[in-house]
Order: sequence, then C-alpha cells, then structure tokens
Amino acid sequence: MRLSRREFMTLAGGSTVGAVIFTACGVPADELLVEAPLDVPEDLVKGIDSWFATMDDSGLGVIVRVMEGRAKKIAGNPDYPVNLGKHSVHADAALQALYHPDRVEGPMRRRAEGQPLTRISWDEADGLLRQWMADADGNLAIVTNPVRGGDARIASDVASAFNGRVMFFDPLEQGVLHRAIKTVFNQDRIPDFDIGNARTVLSFGADWLGTWLSPVRFGLKYGDFRGGDKRGFMIHAESRMSLTAAAADRWLTVNPGYEGDLAVSIANVIVSEGLVPATNIAAYSANIPEGELAKWAPSLVAERVGVPAERITEAARRFANDGPSIAFGGGSAGAQTNGVFNLTAIYALNILAGSVGAKGGIQFNPAGAQGLPDSATGASFEEWERELAQWRAGNVKTVITHAVDLVHGFPRSVDVGGALDNVENVVAFTGVLDESSAHANLILPENSYLENWGLDVPEPAPGYEVVGFRQPVVNAPLDTESRARLYDSRSFLDTLLQAAGSRVDVSSVKDFVDNTVDDLFATGRGSVTAGDRRLFMNGVLQRGGWWDVNAGANTEPPSSIPSPIAVAAGPGLSELEDRVEGHVFTIVPFAHQSILDGRNASTPWAQSTPDPITTVAWATWAEINFDKAKELGISEGTWINIRTTAGEITVQAYPHPGISPNVIAIPIGQGRGEGVGGRYAEDRGSNILNILVDKKESETGALAWAATRAIVTKAGGKKEFPKFEGDARDIIRPVEGGVPILIVKPGQTAHEAEEYNHEQHLRFISNKE
Amino acid sequence: MVTAAEKVSGHKWGMAVDVDRCTGCQACVMACQAENNTTLSTEDVYRQKRTFAWIRIERYWYGEFPDVKARFIPIMCQHCENAPCEPVCPVFATYHNTEGMNVQIYNRCVGTRYCGNGCPYNVRFFNYWEPVWPKSLRNQLNPDVTVRSRGIMEKCSFCVQRIRRGVREAARDGRELQDGDIEPACVEACPTNALVFGDYNDADSRVSVMRNDDRKYTLLDKLNTFPNVVYLAQVDATEGATGGHE
Repeated sequence: MRLSRREFMTLAGGSTVGAVIFTACGVPADELLVEAPLDVPEDLVKGIDSWFATMDDSGLGVIVRVMEGRAKKIAGNPDYPVNLGKHSVHADAALQALYHPDRVEGPMRRRAEGQPLTRISWDEADGLLRQWMADADGNLAIVTNPVRGGDARIASDVASAFNGRVMFFDPLEQGVLHRAIKTVFNQDRIPDFDIGNARTVLSFGADWLGTWLSPVRFGLKYGDFRGGDKRGFMIHAESRMSLTAAAADRWLTVNPGYEGDLAVSIANVIVSEGLVPATNIAAYSANIPEGELAKWAPSLVAERVGVPAERITEAARRFANDGPSIAFGGGSAGAQTNGVFNLTAIYALNILAGSVGAKGGIQFNPAGAQGLPDSATGASFEEWERELAQWRAGNVKTVITHAVDLVHGFPRSVDVGGALDNVENVVAFTGVLDESSAHANLILPENSYLENWGLDVPEPAPGYEVVGFRQPVVNAPLDTESRARLYDSRSFLDTLLQAAGSRVDVSSVKDFVDNTVDDLFATGRGSVTAGDRRLFMNGVLQRGGWWDVNAGANTEPPSSIPSPIAVAAGPGLSELEDRVEGHVFTIVPFAHQSILDGRNASTPWAQSTPDPITTVAWATWAEINFDKAKELGISEGTWINIRTTAGEITVQAYPHPGISPNVIAIPIGQGRGEGVGGRYAEDRGSNILNILVDKKESETGALAWAATRAIVTKAGGKKEFPKFEGDARDIIRPVEGGVPILIVKPGQTAHEAEEYNHEQHLRFISNKE
Repeated sequence: MVTAAEKVSGHKWGMAVDVDRCTGCQACVMACQAENNTTLSTEDVYRQKRTFAWIRIERYWYGEFPDVKARFIPIMCQHCENAPCEPVCPVFATYHNTEGMNVQIYNRCVGTRYCGNGCPYNVRFFNYWEPVWPKSLRNQLNPDVTVRSRGIMEKCSFCVQRIRRGVREAARDGRELQDGDIEPACVEACPTNALVFGDYNDADSRVSVMRNDDRKYTLLDKLNTFPNVVYLAQVDATEGATGGHE
C-alpha cells in the first residue's frame, strides 16, 4: 500500500509520531529533527549508494553516485591529479545526456535518399557496418571529436586495418596552438601552466577560466594564485570580456589579430629597459635581426593594437619585475590568419622571463605512458577542405562519424551536407539526432561515457605521466511500466572493433584496457601498488587512473628560439560585401560557458544555466559595445542582421559594457533547426559558425574563425531576453559601495573599506540634495 | 535550557565565500541543481522572472570601458541567526535549528510566501507549478532530497542530506567529524575553492579562520540578520583606484 505523507500522518495520529507532533509546540527541536526532509517517511531512501570513479569525455576524473543502477550525481574525483575533486558546469549535464528523453532508442536505417529513418535490429546494423567497412577498404574515413589515449589508438588501428584514416573535428581547432608550442619549445604536447605558483599571469585570447582546454584545472590553480600568501596579479588581453578577462586585474582590450604585436611590444619594453637577465634576452633575441625589435615600441604599435602605450609598458614591467611570471594564450588569438605569429610571440615571452621549467612558469609534459597518444587536435580546415573534396568527388565510400556534428560546426560555404550526400554510406554514432544525422544512411545509438570503457591521457597533463581510466558505471535503465530498456545503445569503439573482427588485435575496449593495465602493472611504479595484477586493476579503477609523479618530462628549456617576429604579419580580415549598407564589425565567436560548442545543447541543465556575464539562458545573443549600440539605436533585445560574404543570421543584440567597439561577439552552440538536437535545443538561437568566411591561418591552414568581418543592420523589432538579471543599465545605479560586492585594496580591511564607502555614500547623497 | 537537539548537535554550520576567488563559472549553480532536484528554469520561467536557483551568481558592472569590470558574487540562503523569514511563518514551516541553519519543512509549508517577502536576500523560491520532468529524466533525481510540490516554498538547505550523512557516517565509524568531511554540492564543485563550508564551533576549521579574516564582511549587515554565510572582500590590486569604492 502506498501512503502519502498526509495519509501517514492521519493514520499515525494516536501513535508516537502523533505525540511528537503534538508536543512540538513545547519542544520544537525534537519534533523538527524528526521532520527533517531526509527523515520523513516518503523520503526514506532504500538501497545503498556506491561511488564509482571514471573519466568524463572532457578529460576530467569524476566520481559517480549510483543507486539501484541509476546514476544520481557526478562530482570531481578527489584523487585524480588533473582536477583534484573539482568539476565544471558541464560535468553534471552528463546525467541528462544519459537519461535524455530524446536519446536515439535503437539503430535506424535510411534505405534511400529522402526516405525516413526506420528502426532496425542491432544484428542488421552490425551486418551493414561490417559490410560497408569492408567494401570501403582504402576509402574509409572515421570522423570523431579529438580524442587521446586508448580511444585515439583504437580508432586509428581500426582505420588503418581498412587502409582508411581518422579525422578529428573541432570547430574551434587548436592546431595553431600546437604549432606555436612546437616552434617555441620544441614540444609535441601542451605543457602545464603553473599558474598557482606564479606572481604575474599574462594571458591572451584564451578564456582559460571558462572554456579553454582544461578550465577546471586552471580554476584550481587560479584559486591558489589568488589565495596564496602573496596574491598574484593577472593581466589578460582579449577583445571581449570573457570570464577570464573579468577575473583579470588588468584587462587589455586588444584589437582582434594584434595579440602578437602586443606581445612583441611587451618584449620590446623588457629588452630595451634591460628588465631581465642578459642570458634571457640573448635567448629571446638570438634570431631577431638587429634593430627589428625597435619597430614594436609601444608608441609605434599602440594605435593598431588598441592598447595605450603606457598600459603596454606597465604590463611589461610587471611581467618582468614581479615574477615568477607566465605568459600563455590561444583561443581567438590563434584564430587569425596570423595566428602562429600571435601565439609564437606570446609563448616566447616565457623565454624572456626565464619561466620555462621554473616554478610558476611553463612545465613541460612527458610523452604519454606506454606510448599512448597524448595530444589531440582537430585536422586543420585546409586538410578538411581536401578531405571534403574527396567525399564530394565520390572517392570515399564510407564515412563513420562520432560525437561531431559536421553540418553544424563547419561554415556553410564548405557545404558539408553536400559532401556527405556524395558518400555512399554514412554511419553516424550519436546520442541525440543532430543536423548531420539528416545525411546519414545508418544511425547507431551511442553510449554515454558513463556506460563505456576507455583510457585517456589528459592534455595538458599535470607535469607527469597520467592515464585516466573510464569504466561503465550504469546500464540503460528500464521503463518502469514496460520493463523494456529505455534505449539500446552501444559503445562506438566496441562496435567498430566488432565490425573490424580479426583485422585488429584487440576485440574490445575492455581488452585494450586490460592490456594497458598489464603493461602498467609490469612497470612496478606509479600511484597504485599491489601484490598481484587483479588487485592492481581494482586499485586503478577505484582511483580512476594511474599516475607517476616521478615520471616528469626530461626536457631542458631551449637555449634560443626562432625569431618570433620572423612570421610577423597583420591579421587578414575577411572582405565585405559590396552594396550592403550597415556598420562593420569583426565577429568573435566564443564557446558557450555551459553548452560549449553545442555538445551539451541537448541537455536542459546546460541550456538553463545563465551565461555568467550577460545572464542570458536558452538563447543566442550578440554582444555589442554599449556606447556603440546606443549610437546605432540598438537596445537590448533588438533583432539585428549579421551579414558576411558567406551568409546572414538574425540574432538579438546585447549591449555590453565590456567589448571593443569594433567587435561583435556571439556564442556558438545553438542554432539547430526544428526536430534537431532534442526537445531542449531544437529551433533555438542562431549558429554563427555557419556564416564564417573560410579565411585560413597562413602557416597551418587552420580556420581563422575570428577573422570574419560582418555588416550589421537592424532587422526590426525587439524581444526581451530570457535572462537572469537586470540589463547593463544597472551600471549607473547609485548603490552604496560594497553592496553587495565589497572591494578592498591590498592590505585594507573590510571594515576600513566599509567605513570609506559609507562616507562616500553620505557625501554622494548630500551633494545630490 | 539545553534542548534535546542541542545535546546531539554541537555543530554550527556556516559557509565562507572568498569573492576574490570566484570567477562566476556557474559550476556551483549546476551542482546545486543536480543535487537538490530543483525544478527546471525553462525559457518561460526566465521570461516570467521566476527562475529557481538555490545558489545564484550575481554579476555587477564596475567602471567604464575600457576599465570596466564584471564582478561576481555567489548568493545563497544566508542562514541568518536573526532570520526575518522565521517569525513570519504562521505554521512554523521555517525555523532555526540548533546547528545554525535556517531550515524549511516542505510538508508543513502552506505557501503563504510571507517568508519570501521577509527575506532581504531574495533566496526563497515558491513553487508556482508542479515540477515536471520527462519520465526518463526522473532517473537522475536524488533520492535523498524531496521533490517539492506546487504551492510550497523552498531554498538552500546547506545540503542538509549531506550533513546528516556525514554525521551518521562519522558516528558509524566511531570518529569525530573532521573539517572538510561535509561539503554541500556547491562547495564540492567550486574549481577555485571560493566556497568553503564547515563548523564554526571548530575554531580551527577553515570557515572559522575565514570568518576572522580582515576581508570578512556579511551581506546587508546593517539589517542585523547575522548571517552564517560570510564573504571575503574582493581585492583590487590595480593602482589608482580608491579603496573599496569604484
């Protein structure tokens, strides 16, 4: 018999519980303890919870609370060296991806172009996949999000077995970053940034506290940076106010594409004023022709860079004088036609500061343990153009995609959909149907990472060897009425391995994990010590990974570097369409704080989490400088057209106090059509990626995704944003200082600041009167 | 008089927020939502200005471009010692327990919303609608936390279910609770360790140390609500700005 709370209370009226309630008037504390939410009868928790360690799909170590076969909570793994128990805003959203009501329930096939998808059995799907892979020997492409470790090895082995290739796709590709790291430090993997021990952090373009690379790890270090004995000073250069720019002590509003000029100008000040040891200057300047650096004197570059000369000088002096210092960058700074110059110039500053290999500086990472792939970056846009040309020409017979939405992520000008339509067999592993699914012949439901085995090597690693282990922690839940599985998904890699059969040495991901455990156990070192292999495996899974703090990189800092200004060039922004009137802006796309590049767009938690700066949720917005918007007659919520030579989108404007007047910044990740992306993402917002112009970084061929110019016009009408806070007009409201955010100067007490604020406030009021 | 609850308690829970470390990343907001089964703030709910967030990040603008700053502060129930929400409740659905927490009894609440009116921090939320999740998403719900029905008020509980579990487990293991044994979901998630939770009765706990920091202040302290959530002021290290006021 099921009892509601109130029915229970009625039945228990004369019992002890009733007596407790009765006496509650006299002794509230006892009664209230009984009535704590945890203890009321209908909330009695049955079953025992278990916490399992695993690895999420962004490289974080997580622990998952599981009760009666259901995942209930995801938290950071306190043991895992990358994130030490912390997690990001999107880690929790994985629960909703797991239990998403629109998850693909089973394999589906499209028998002819234009026909609807029909449900088929896994046996039939496996047969088709096997046949299509075999038929495509030499003409197979496996496309996945950038993966490392065992996932990368297995995908590569399967592709090789069919003489095919693996293509990584990342809409905000990091290839330019890898090239700069290689150029300056001769490293094949991204180093660790020892922010926590730095006194001065100088960063460019990358929103490292929000979405760039490993924001949880960087956040941990940022906490140390702020909370240490001597609070560090942070300078960040970016054209828009990202979370990182907001956290900075000094924000430099650099013009897009001029980050390299800014970095070289900072170097100019350091060298000309002799602020660092001569050996550092020699290492930095070894390959710079005499007199060249003088061309980057702050007074000469300030105008084009967009930062006043005195601010450049101030940054240089602080960077040089108040060490340990570290400089790093990426994101929009690398997403220019001169991206390699920008990033090379930025990372070269570490040579000047002597911070390579030093505490509070750049720490090199070792190669992946047991030869596991330790670095992942998407294929460059240029490589993708070549690949898509092959698809379009009908030279690729089978394309298998996983965890990517190519149609959503590429500029519309490259017509990925058209290319896919010329491929005979398109197999899409996906959780929720996306834009690319419309071009697939076979849809295969993909497991959540919570249901998979896997191995990851984090990038950046924490300065020593780490292997993250992923293990299945839940199975598909059953429908409470029909008792059928809610969805019939499988692991992408296991399905590929099964289709590959004897062509690949391992038969499952679990086999690969077992083999790696054997190898790690045989080393006799690392974080898990056990008497036998079985116990070792248990220990590794319990801790969520294996690491060896003594296995660091054995690399000396370079004694000299290539001239960072050898590739100096200004940014090559896109052309503008003739005969279109309006106002010209440079588009700076950025990853959304919770839905990222769109991978979390299907989950309602990620959609409903407000953007930290604008507080907008469930929508796309265009950040436009507050004063510029006023000048153009644009107010909050005004619909504006953003037109490039590649197309046009209509989006709502958000007048923003923290963005350069010549820049319009738009989050990516939304903009799916009707019936695409699940009920929470469909028909929502706009996709700025689709109208980017295909400008390329000159050295790497990467997409210069922050180099598109647009003409902006009012579209007519406006609509209120779904957002959390008042609008930016709040900037002028006369709130007494310190309410609610009290600000103190270093060494000042809260009480002193409050007294000061109150005096100022009284003066403000009396002046007003 | 020492109540029975005081005999078994001995704790005074509180939270310290170092605003200088907060980056506004929203990890705490999402973690809270996942832990406490809060209803989804849909687009419609946003438009009606009735979003649910037991913890929220408020953003304030300071200065003017290019020296403008966006500053963030996490706001949750302040668990006031002298809570304006408590005396106004006609059915004693909200009360102050002996562990320093302002507690809400969901099944006693009749939805007058007086407490919400009385709260100066705007951290109480009324369920205007029955919470609805698609069937499959109900699998994610935390069984430790009641799903609140339409017509009642709810708010941050300091993750009381975690406190109860922590106390129980320490008792089961026959040991004293250690500082850091209990972490609400927001504290657990916070990447920068801006949020710290603990026992003020433990003089060595991190919250006790932070409560005595020179940068400590409380929100709207002139109202004499004596919150058990304390804040550490943000530091402005740039030269030229005057102390405490921009």
